[in-house]
Amino acid sequence: MAQSRRKFLQQTGCALTGAALVASLDQLNLISAMAQTSDVASDYRALVCIFLSGGNDCNNTIIPLDSEYNSYSSVRSTAQLALSQQVLLPISPISGRQFGLHPNLSPEVANPTTTFKGLLDLWNQQKLAVLCNVGTLVQPLTRTQYQSGTGRPYQLFSHSDQVAQQQASISNNPSQTGWGGRVADFTGALNGIVPLPMNVSVAGTSLFATGQTSRQLAISPAPTSLNQVLVLNMFGGTLSDQQARRNTFAQLLGFDLDRALIKASSDTTNQALSTSAALSSSQQDVVTAFPNTSLGNQLKQVARLMKFRDTLGMKRQIFFCTLGGFDTHTQQTGSSPTSTAGGAAGSGNQGSLLFQLSTAMRAFYDETVAQNIQNNVVTFTLSDFGRTFQPSGSGSGTVGSDHAWGNHAFIMGGAIHGGDFYGKYPTLALGGPDDTDNRGRWIPSTSIDQYAATLATWYGLAQSDLPTVFPFLSRFPSSNLGFLG
Amino acid sequence: MKKNFLLCLRPCLLRLLCACAALALCSSVNSLQAAPGVGPVLLSNNDSTRAVAVESVTLKSEPFTPNQIVPFSADNRTRIIIFAMNLDTIAGEGVNAFSADAEAVVNGATTRYTLNVEYMSPVPGFEGITEFIVRLNDQMPADMGDVLIRLNLHGMASNRVRVAIGHVGGGPTDDQGAVPTPAPQTPPAPIPAPAQNPYTDPALAAGGDGVRFLEQATWGPTSSDLAHVRSVGFRAYLNEQFAAAPVGSTNYPTLNLFPTDTEVGCSATDYPVLAERTMCFRDNYSMYPLQIMFFQNARNGQDQLRQRVAYALHKILIVSGRDLNNQPAWVAPYLQVFDRNAFGNFRQILMDVTLNPGMGEYLDMRGNSRVSPNENYAREILQLFSVGVDSLNADGTPKLDANGNRISTYDQATITNFARVFTGWNLSPNKTWTNPKTGATAPVPNYIDSMALSNNTSTYDTASKTLLNGQVLPAITAGQDLRQYKTAELNAAIDNIFNNPNTGPFIAKALISQLVTSNPSPAYVQRVAAAFNDNGAGVRGDMKAAITAILLDPESRGDVKSDPNYGHLREPVLLTTNLLRAFNATTDGNISNNGTRFGLLLDMGQDLFNPPTVFSYFPADYQVPGTSALFGPEFGILSTTTTFKRANFINALVLANSGNGFLPITPPIAGNPASSDRPTGTKIDYSAYQAMAGNPAQLVDALNQLLMHGTMSQAMKNSIVTNVTNVTNANPDWRAQTAIYLIASSSQYQVQR
Repeated sequence: MAQSRRKFLQQTGCALTGAALVASLDQLNLISAMAQTSDVASDYRALVCIFLSGGNDCNNTIIPLDSEYNSYSSVRSTAQLALSQQVLLPISPISGRQFGLHPNLSPEVANPTTTFKGLLDLWNQQKLAVLCNVGTLVQPLTRTQYQSGTGRPYQLFSHSDQVAQQQASISNNPSQTGWGGRVADFTGALNGIVPLPMNVSVAGTSLFATGQTSRQLAISPAPTSLNQVLVLNMFGGTLSDQQARRNTFAQLLGFDLDRALIKASSDTTNQALSTSAALSSSQQDVVTAFPNTSLGNQLKQVARLMKFRDTLGMKRQIFFCTLGGFDTHTQQTGSSPTSTAGGAAGSGNQGSLLFQLSTAMRAFYDETVAQNIQNNVVTFTLSDFGRTFQPSGSGSGTVGSDHAWGNHAFIMGGAIHGGDFYGKYPTLALGGPDDTDNRGRWIPSTSIDQYAATLATWYGLAQSDLPTVFPFLSRFPSSNLGFLG
Repeated sequence: MKKNFLLCLRPCLLRLLCACAALALCSSVNSLQAAPGVGPVLLSNNDSTRAVAVESVTLKSEPFTPNQIVPFSADNRTRIIIFAMNLDTIAGEGVNAFSADAEAVVNGATTRYTLNVEYMSPVPGFEGITEFIVRLNDQMPADMGDVLIRLNLHGMASNRVRVAIGHVGGGPTDDQGAVPTPAPQTPPAPIPAPAQNPYTDPALAAGGDGVRFLEQATWGPTSSDLAHVRSVGFRAYLNEQFAAAPVGSTNYPTLNLFPTDTEVGCSATDYPVLAERTMCFRDNYSMYPLQIMFFQNARNGQDQLRQRVAYALHKILIVSGRDLNNQPAWVAPYLQVFDRNAFGNFRQILMDVTLNPGMGEYLDMRGNSRVSPNENYAREILQLFSVGVDSLNADGTPKLDANGNRISTYDQATITNFARVFTGWNLSPNKTWTNPKTGATAPVPNYIDSMALSNNTSTYDTASKTLLNGQVLPAITAGQDLRQYKTAELNAAIDNIFNNPNTGPFIAKALISQLVTSNPSPAYVQRVAAAFNDNGAGVRGDMKAAITAILLDPESRGDVKSDPNYGHLREPVLLTTNLLRAFNATTDGNISNNGTRFGLLLDMGQDLFNPPTVFSYFPADYQVPGTSALFGPEFGILSTTTTFKRANFINALVLANSGNGFLPITPPIAGNPASSDRPTGTKIDYSAYQAMAGNPAQLVDALNQLLMHGTMSQAMKNSIVTNVTNVTNANPDWRAQTAIYLIASSSQYQVQR
């Protein structure tokens, strides 16, 4: 009985968050009756995805400071794409070796007076981990296998396809669902009956947060206040005219649903209507100062919703943010790598983005501490792909890197076994064992499926549901990478 | 796989024929007439809506199991045969013109499954009746009870008939008004498929299709355009539009180039008054001037079709202002490419875009050198502008290998080789900027003229390259002129792309999806691709031929479309222009309610000429959540947030400010009226509806004809009439405004069918 009740909630509970979709009161009562408190989680847990859109160049994000620095500089310095050893932020992972982080991952080191700090403190407190050379895979793959043409993901190096596979954790074909959405499909019972969908995007509609049954709430980032993100204006006429018009507006959403696209549009509007009431009351704002940047404002809105979690009764939440501009074919670096400004005279386009990333992540972490949920929130990065180790173009302004594959990811939170590297750092050699060809496109040594499954397991996804949510997971040696739990 | 399957089927048909003749075909007196513009009729039993259906190999009747115990085909999935008549096919049309779906109730929820239609053939001896073989969807549970099956052709749905999967009974209730549809006593004679209608007869535009046509071919129907198309007919209208010119020579006049550095172009020294400096930024470092032009052109221009097609091309071959330093002067020459070539040849479009300086800057071909050449432009011209990642059949469906996997059009090596072709080009010599305040001059990059070969010949890659389909471009020969070599090589590379068999179906599908429907039938794509491939005079890439094929096709034309998957969501730009034109609005082109260049379109998720990435405002391959894998690109920017922003935009346009729309703003700089962001405002004209205020049913019906070409359901009509009747405001416009708001904000309107 417990099993069937859980299944039932999986299939209906998530859809219920768009309560207007469920017309029948009887059905509501039935679900309420079945939503036993034993299914609802006692603690709060949240996953926060930051998608680095365009493909972050991992090769200039985390750089070896041991003898392999020469492998790096020999390939990248002629084209003026290499960062000098002096500006890198040295770190020593527990598992060994010496690496350097891009200076803008902790801008306060070079610029002590900067308003916002970065991530180095969190690394030192072991609240930040790095997953090396992770990427889309349909099976473990060697250079020999790759070059024979077998076992490759669908459409490598293409933005749209690789973005979709990172978000879907299904790499052989286009998928209609994302892995955040599928995790929500199977963990809806942990929330019980709540007024918000489990998944919230502050960056528009995302594949990541779309499930088979789960739909995402998409809201604007700060500075829009939370009680203003979903407001349907009814200006004009008397109050009774307005009320009648609002009722008719809602009534029309129930008609002509046999037309597929009309239904899809009305479903979205219905979800907005049913959620807007829950968000319309005023809320306490966060106490931490966030940078007034794109990502800073997205994470600020996430933190506000987290602060509202008890009022809404949310026990499990998955958030989606994006930071765009990482497609640095040109102008990746500038003449002053520790500058917090972008452009040729500053730290280049990647440098300014990493500055934005690190300061927003740090402010967000500090706010979770203020809310005393730092151990309940895990923030992690995804990106389209890494970039070619060999530069594209050469000389100031025109130098950058092209689309590649494996990439490094950051994972942040109090529950993380941080201060360490997971996965396997690639051998920085053109035509080397990790290269697809001869430009330095790293073949991932860890699959996105393993990365996602580790996060999902901590979040509360049952082991028995892993094969359904991550259909390719069993092809890889481990379903838990060990950085959590 | 399919071949064996069909081989098996042929002998079976003989037996089938007898079975059908005895059981169903000759047993009824009911006669159904074939008629164009009406959907197919699926045959049922005499006394119920249960389909005449048999398993395709064993000829067993229902209930069917989704998988076969004996594997008759490689995938072991069950196929069933159903029968239809009244098929309004045109000559040459085959099975890829049809789609089918099955609706089921699974765990209490209504679920719709796509059924692949694999085969069709007239029933021997009963050629007016056609058998169809459909494959049961892989996602279907084994025992789901009754499902309702439907067949679609040209956007028209058939009646739905019941088929049992697992067991007989249960499932969805019959459609309202559904009746048994047995074959007539005298089986219908075969209907010879006619040639495609030339769409010259003006009478074809007399009904709802006149409105539908203008929704597809223009920025929205106006009463005068509607009257005109109804007098001259579709084809003549198209030919007039092919000849219509923009006001002036282009819709986007060349603007003054400004320096790259905003602090030089709009310095505080030159513009000590902040308001004036803000205007300098607005006019020279934002998309505002082009957005204003766009909406004025769309509202008032006579070259409507050119504008629609040019905009569609912009959305395929993307450049974004945000990556061109936000300088409108850099974007205008790029928009001119489409303005100039919308009715020209696609090869010219590819070439002009490749050498456009804005594109050169956006995708890094400008300054590209043979030393580790940048792959950006090479990848995107193939993936997004021409052939796409999957190798395609002539009808736009992906080719599959023996394992059922799609086949890549190119690989990384192809990209690298194209990247080497795209080396050596750079901006033409600098232009001169004259500071309008001081008269001082300074050199600025040339974003007006096409790119030219760089004087730095060491950037030229002159080795041999292997392009699509293995075509090899030779290395430079001894003594050959370098520039002549690179120019000839670029032309050969553009030809290689342009002539690839993928380009026709890829571009056909992209244009259909923007103008007509997100999920065209493969047969429709094939017809348009064929016109792209050959305009009838042996010319490939003739845009006029492709556009004509898109707009004069049985799948785009017709007063009403009943296929449940038909149509597309109006993107914010289209939603806006359609409302402005439908109600004869006056506008200064600033479509915002806050009086600045930061307009409401941005709220709705579409910052015009500033798409977020090279994947356009929304991804072309976006699949709509909760559907049976339907494409719906515009849904990529429809979210809980933007759906309210759309409604709020319509509220602001129609109802707020007492219906006065977006009010003009007093110029912020005294004595300089031109400096206002919004000199005249935007206001809808309700005068045509004042007289109907006393008759809500008449009012709603008139709006139904204008906005929804008469397709509004009775339930929707009743709901709106009731609301309008109860409106208390005495203002005669108020009822019209209320009705317009309710229709325009509805999903039924926002999805254009």
